Amino acid sequence: MRRCDYACGTREHALSRRSFLAGAASAAAAAALPFGGGLSTLAQPAVAADLQSRQRQFLVLWLYGGVSQLETWDPKHGTDTGGPFRSIETSVPGIRISELLPRTAKLMHLMTLVRGVNTGEDDHGRGDVLMQTGRPQMPGVQHPHLGSLMSRFLTAADNPLPGYINVAPYGSGAVNAADAAFLGPKYGSMTLTDGKAPANLDADPGLEPGLDAAREALRKRLNERFARSRRSALTDAYTATYDQARQLMERKEVFDLSKEPARDVERYGSHDLGRHCLMARRLLMSGVTFVKVSHTNYDTHNENFDFHLEQLDEFDRPFAALLEDLHVSGMLEHTTVVVKSEFGRTPNINHLYGRDHWSKAWSIAVAGAGFQKGTVYGATNDRGTEVVDGQVSAADLFHTYLRAAGIDPTDDYSINGRDVQIADPRGKAIEEILA
Amino acid sequence: MESALPSLVFSLVLAFAPSDAPPSEEAAAAPLHERIDALIEAPLEGRVSPPADDAEFLRRIHLDLHGRIPSQAEVEAFLADQDPEKRSKIVDRLLEAPEFALRMADHWDLVWNERRPDKHVKAPHWREFLRRAAFENRPYDRLVADIFAADGSEADPVERAASKFVLDRDADPHVLARDVGRLFLGRDMQCAQCHDHPLVDDYKQAHYYGLFAYFSRSAVVEVPGKPAALAEKADGDVTFASVFKSKVTHSTLPRVLDRPADPEPSFAKGDEYRVAPGTNVRHLPRRSRRALLAEELPDPEVEAFARNGANRLWALMMGRGLVHPLDMDHSDNPPSHPEVLEALTEEFVACGYDVKRILRAIANTRAYQRSSVPADHLSDDDLSPERYAVAPIAPLAAEPFGWSVMRALGIVESYRSAAESEIERDPRLKAIFEAMPEGEGAALRARMVAERVHDRLSPSLGTFHNVFGAAPGQPQDASDPTVQQALLLLNGEPVKSWLGTIAAQLAPIEDLDKLAEALHSRILSRPPDEQERAATREFLENRTGEARTAALKQLAWALLASAEFRHRH
Repeated sequence: MRRCDYACGTREHALSRRSFLAGAASAAAAAALPFGGGLSTLAQPAVAADLQSRQRQFLVLWLYGGVSQLETWDPKHGTDTGGPFRSIETSVPGIRISELLPRTAKLMHLMTLVRGVNTGEDDHGRGDVLMQTGRPQMPGVQHPHLGSLMSRFLTAADNPLPGYINVAPYGSGAVNAADAAFLGPKYGSMTLTDGKAPANLDADPGLEPGLDAAREALRKRLNERFARSRRSALTDAYTATYDQARQLMERKEVFDLSKEPARDVERYGSHDLGRHCLMARRLLMSGVTFVKVSHTNYDTHNENFDFHLEQLDEFDRPFAALLEDLHVSGMLEHTTVVVKSEFGRTPNINHLYGRDHWSKAWSIAVAGAGFQKGTVYGATNDRGTEVVDGQVSAADLFHTYLRAAGIDPTDDYSINGRDVQIADPRGKAIEEILA
Repeated sequence: MESALPSLVFSLVLAFAPSDAPPSEEAAAAPLHERIDALIEAPLEGRVSPPADDAEFLRRIHLDLHGRIPSQAEVEAFLADQDPEKRSKIVDRLLEAPEFALRMADHWDLVWNERRPDKHVKAPHWREFLRRAAFENRPYDRLVADIFAADGSEADPVERAASKFVLDRDADPHVLARDVGRLFLGRDMQCAQCHDHPLVDDYKQAHYYGLFAYFSRSAVVEVPGKPAALAEKADGDVTFASVFKSKVTHSTLPRVLDRPADPEPSFAKGDEYRVAPGTNVRHLPRRSRRALLAEELPDPEVEAFARNGANRLWALMMGRGLVHPLDMDHSDNPPSHPEVLEALTEEFVACGYDVKRILRAIANTRAYQRSSVPADHLSDDDLSPERYAVAPIAPLAAEPFGWSVMRALGIVESYRSAAESEIERDPRLKAIFEAMPEGEGAALRARMVAERVHDRLSPSLGTFHNVFGAAPGQPQDASDPTVQQALLLLNGEPVKSWLGTIAAQLAPIEDLDKLAEALHSRILSRPPDEQERAATREFLENRTGEARTAALKQLAWALLASAEFRHRH
């Protein structure tokens, strides 16, 4: 029997076991990292059995600045807070949303609205942290983004594509290690801006193929020599990244939006968000675990109605097209979709015809794998000034997203000898909307 | 036997003044490194890996003491050296070289500043402050005292830079209570802010607030026309209550852990300020609580201070602390070798907190010099890193990796030549060196060359920080390798261009065998074996001119991209 070279019971051993196991579940198994403090290990894998058969994926539409719930999911037309826009019927009798989302309204039967959101955080920065990580911002402590968690738990070990991609109007194309906090830079978000592929995917055009093959062969031979006497889980993990890099280079057309058919470009719209949603579709279909599409800017302290009219027109078309495409292709069965912001906007209309930050009674929308279809959970009063039914917190929502994706939010990591729960223990999943 | 301390060469350097008498040779039973080895090897009963071979040892000691791999010349010289004492001698030489001081300054910067962006104190001044301390081999307890004694009002910007630790944390007493605990006492007491630590019995809320009290009266003040500095009130008491027993309020004076607080003198009303509060005035009390920390933190009664210092020096060389993690020192997390830590701590205190002395002792242990190849007869238990039966293998952190790439590809060498000829051609510098006593002029020149190379190449580390480093605020040691790192080495700059440098430097070597030796010495810090010589020949045979250069680049690349290069072993 071949002797295992790694010391049993050490973290390196656990890491090597991961690299030998195949399939989606292995990514969630022993997540050992070597020396040093403050690194995480997962105590128990938290992955549901059916994940092993089908890669779970996740899509977030991040409407930056705080989209107004009164102009989207929870209109109050005819009241002093409702503003000029009316509500319209949707594909689900009894559910009405703002007239600014006509195409989305036709897909309500695929969605669920959560109208009782009360998150108690009106600041952009802190609201961003709260909604991205499910925990309030605390000095000296960072928790991973939802996308980093998903990348960590759902991505198959042999998937060369980045697990968490952020499609945004601006950014450097680099990996943002800070998003992943203690999970490590591997699970940070990679920002894709406007069709620019991630860095260093192109081989040096001046490198002759013969030389490329020769250098690869020599590198492998050197690694084998080293491994003969000094094999370690770390060195294995390192050499594996070269194979993944090659695979990613071979798949670089995943990031090339020009490969999408023209009629889809028309359907989604040739504006920024249209292209970004089309890119999201492309990435999801290629197997990227978590895609976040950012749309800006909804922070309408003045001219709320004009801006929302414009912004939501930009949003409605590509979002509906994307949701439709995911549904028709069957991808919605294993892809969870969430539309959210840092917070909502005040029912009170200020003297600039604007609405200000408001986290007391707002909404988010969800669809896809793990969620019920065509329902509403929670309600606000007739003027939208407070939640009267089904109040949920940011932590509750975070638990719910994880459960929808098949991850147990009550499971623990171990950090620096302390057990930390994946999602804030003060929260609880919203069972009523989970499928 | 431990070698005697080498004499200090700089006349600019302050005399080394230990606070206690140096340990007498007859009082210590055996040199520290031998005592450490005896304690580590006792439970292993002979089940240890053999010593690392010369090449392995040389590479490792260069990485640990200078933060980068050795040069080709250094590799060849060491391997050819027949002196049986060459290992302890090279430890001494590396400790005296200017690169060591630069490395220690970088190390303290990373550990104490944790990649925070500049706020009230600029990085170059802070770095220069740390470098001065490192070049003097300033005793660790004095260095830490300097950090808390400074208040940002010092006229000399480098002296002022000592206050960065407090100023750039905005004198926030919560942040400081936690960071002083973590970084200088080896205890992360953040959870003891609201109640006694729920999991660690030794960390009490009183300890947290004892540290908090040194800073609670301080604030950063920016008087117009002057740089930011610390002001301090003369009143304000610290009280705290556990969230579980919120009706019971405690109070505390500033104190370090269980060391009794010094009684606070009382002043006559109106007399409590040196500089009374007012508009645009930096108010100063007659007795500063913050300055008190400079005396009390390194006090011999505070065992945790020396213990943490010794533990971190051990970790610097050995890859992990005897107490592990470094900021979780408590009775339920005992050190792997309590007696080793005791011996190390005792020596650290007795020799006056001499950093070089401790590092030298560790470097001379068999435990440090073990091979990283696990010997066949070692059981799985023996291979656990905390047994020290075999040397650890770990990916190089971002800085040592970046520096090693630059050294391997000849970038360091070319900058070094440039710096040397610049200094050579400067008549003012020449005059200064000539006016100095013999050895000191040479030492100062060496220091200037090293600093120029270091400061000119540091910006090139940016890409390595971004791609190989951890995010600011997270532990800066290794984490999972990423595809982005592989892509950078496969296709990215600056590596692609730098391959051109090494190819140009080696192209003139006609003999393929010599070429193989040069490549392997430079990049892998060892000679090639037979197969590797053959591989080099294969790669370059029948290639001339540009084709040869192109092949040479990729040959160098293969070595650079290997697991052997990537790791410390």
